[in-house]
Amino acid sequence: MEIKRMLTNFRVIILLICLVLGLFAINPRPWNEGVAIKSIARNSSAELGGFENPKANLAPMARERIIAMNNKPVVDLEDYFALTSKLEPNQTVQIKTNKGSYRLVAKPKFLVTELNETEIIFVNETVEVNETINGTLVLFNKTITRELEQPKILTEIIGIEPLGFSVDNAPKSNLRKGLDLQGGTRVLLKPAEEVSSETMSLMIDSLKERLNVYGLGDIVVTEVSDSPAFLGGGNRFILVEIAGATEDEVRDLLGKQGKFEARIGNASVFKGGNDVTYVCRTAQCSGLDPNRGCGQSQEGWGCSFMFSITLSPEAAQRQADLTDNLFVSGDTLSEQLVLYLDDQEVDRLSIAADLKGRAVTDIAITGGGQGASEQAAMEDALKNMKRLQTILITGSLPVKINVERIDNISPTLGKEFLSNAVYVGLFALLAVAIVLMLVYRKVVIAFPIIFTAISEIFLTLAMAALIGWNIDLAAIAGIILAIGTGVNDQVVITDEAIRRESDDAYNWKERIKRAFFIIFSAYLTIVVAMLPLLFAGAGLLKGFAITTILAVTIGVLITRPAYAAIVQMLLEK
Amino acid sequence: MGIKDALLKAYDVHYKKFMVFSFLLLLVCIISLGVSYARTGELFQKGVSLKGGITMTIPVDQSVDIHSLESSLSSRYPSADIGVREITEAGVSTAIIVEASDISVEDLQSALPELGIALEEGKYSIESMGSSLGQRFFSQTIKSLIYAFIFMAIVVFLTFRSIIPSSFVILAAVSDIISTLAVINLLGMKMSTAGIAALLMLIGYSVDTDILLTTKVLKRKGEGGTVFQRTASALRTGLTMTITALVASIIGLIFTQSDIIRQIMTITTIGLIFDIIYTWFQNAGILRWYMERKNGN
Repeated sequence: MEIKRMLTNFRVIILLICLVLGLFAINPRPWNEGVAIKSIARNSSAELGGFENPKANLAPMARERIIAMNNKPVVDLEDYFALTSKLEPNQTVQIKTNKGSYRLVAKPKFLVTELNETEIIFVNETVEVNETINGTLVLFNKTITRELEQPKILTEIIGIEPLGFSVDNAPKSNLRKGLDLQGGTRVLLKPAEEVSSETMSLMIDSLKERLNVYGLGDIVVTEVSDSPAFLGGGNRFILVEIAGATEDEVRDLLGKQGKFEARIGNASVFKGGNDVTYVCRTAQCSGLDPNRGCGQSQEGWGCSFMFSITLSPEAAQRQADLTDNLFVSGDTLSEQLVLYLDDQEVDRLSIAADLKGRAVTDIAITGGGQGASEQAAMEDALKNMKRLQTILITGSLPVKINVERIDNISPTLGKEFLSNAVYVGLFALLAVAIVLMLVYRKVVIAFPIIFTAISEIFLTLAMAALIGWNIDLAAIAGIILAIGTGVNDQVVITDEAIRRESDDAYNWKERIKRAFFIIFSAYLTIVVAMLPLLFAGAGLLKGFAITTILAVTIGVLITRPAYAAIVQMLLEK
Repeated sequence: MGIKDALLKAYDVHYKKFMVFSFLLLLVCIISLGVSYARTGELFQKGVSLKGGITMTIPVDQSVDIHSLESSLSSRYPSADIGVREITEAGVSTAIIVEASDISVEDLQSALPELGIALEEGKYSIESMGSSLGQRFFSQTIKSLIYAFIFMAIVVFLTFRSIIPSSFVILAAVSDIISTLAVINLLGMKMSTAGIAALLMLIGYSVDTDILLTTKVLKRKGEGGTVFQRTASALRTGLTMTITALVASIIGLIFTQSDIIRQIMTITTIGLIFDIIYTWFQNAGILRWYMERKNGN
């Protein structure tokens, strides 16, 4: 009877409907299996096999999940890595996802080594020849075979290239964990000078592109400002968030303006971006420089890398014009081609004498890396190469940017924080329930208070899932604050309801109305106190402010009225 | 019931003494803050998130002597400002936090393993912030605190449409924040941006009991009873509110693993204790005194 009356109350019905809707928004699937695809690398086996890069703002549960590979089930990351490690070069891989089936071919990974010996190869070449045929001189194409001597190259297959998936364990719900709970890197960048909105969005696009080219898909790049737009905008920042473990060089990549320039003397030959039409990134034409290799110096080891690029015809012509003025000294020209990245010299190359005045479009870019051991120097050289290739492809940012803040949060620490926060929350709720039972000496009062508090947490999380808001530590703090004020409000309502027994001067409606007067005033003070925080600290406290406002609003509009109705019925008997 | 009645009676009879006590307490806190300001030029010690620097969080599985670690780091890098703290979960240490200014991440990364703190790739967190950004964060968060106060004051004035009782509410909130800051300062706690967020939370918690009190005393004259009877009725509700919040906040303080949440909980715990004093001694006392004078009884 009591229950039935409660369930038919208008305010309780609204709360129940919201809870059901919230369940759909969060969409919990605790037994979800497989690995979710976060991003697909370009030109990888995965992309060639038909996978598409998922959008960054996709709801977690909407992500495609790999559930089987070569007919073996993939339950979690461990399965995925175990299965991929067993793949053979050129093997066909059958991948089953929750959306369909795909066939990929595992690309072999080559190690190209230039040997210290030469070999003779035969090359077919087409040449134009004049020949007299039947008394007429005609010009026609003839294929001849030429002998060439070149360094012997050893190409070995040393395993497979990565399939190109960036994966994570299957999401269990639509809740998104913020960076400090799931681990990752957050970089706050500030343009070195005032920029217009157009320039800002150009820079954001270019940084995104840079990270994508580098091989990261699951990234968020946004503009943040520490003052609202209607107050003039204040300082503008670019916030980059990369989930999961991140390599150091990614951070290097972000802080660089990426102004690449090749100069002869003081004249510019070509710059990164438009002047470069193609950058080779395959093992055939990029890697450690076979001609220079690695060497030991006093400071440690140094290695060189090289990769070939194709210049636009205009840039090639510029190079021809500039080299034309140079003198030949020995095998090389009098001036060198000097490569600069962000106005710092990367490398200088001698120009072969036979390139004087010629418009060559294919040229090699070189550079180096250092390390304490040969291995470390090689890795450093290859890292620098990858960074330079990325910058050459994506071009320079319009203005210099400074790294203002870098947070690198370990995924394991984040996980511990989350489980800890959950149990601290539950423990605190339990303690509050006990206090309330002691105060009211009525066990039955504690239940609706705790039920309302839990509903409020649930609805706030559902709202966050719906609008794609990340739950991070700041958001948890906000939820705690809101639940605290929620319990306070319920105490106000309960006291008004209980006092009714002793004092009959006012009817129930009047009392609840007055309880809500206090509740609304308190609600408004919290909301206005949070408003300035939306903008302070370049938006890093925004999570706290928004979650608090969201949670107290849900409380005042949905759960508090329902609580008042429940308490009324509980006490009326 | 005997103790409760005796306490209520004392509260009724000696309310002016309690009121004077609360003002004296406020005065002591202001002096303490003033002395510290004169000595250091700052109202509280700023953590790296407000002045720039590096925060490293490293999980540990056994207890680390943080004092010797701190002194060895400081002697190695005398120009740097280094602090080492420990995170404990119910008494067991789970991680250490190294906060340092004027030192590079690389220096810190190379020094720690030499002092016996293993740094395992991917297991520890590094947050580093430039000092100019830190300064900016600081001035902004202080500004947002001031704005929050102004907005709150406007809401309170609109709620009661009566200048004097509204200013009592605001005075109580201001006293609460000032006293909390004074205690934080005495504890030597370094404030982070999360700490400022906690102060804002406190404005909310502090004001709602004051609103409850003022509503009951001011708006419910029709209910009859003396000012004191209406205050006493609000007192029960208000204390229940503050005590539940206090219990939750103390539990969070003891069991949390996150430094951010710990700082928030420390500040709310201190603030809620002051809230009891400033709401029920200061605000209730001054409001009663004002009402009784106004009504001429």
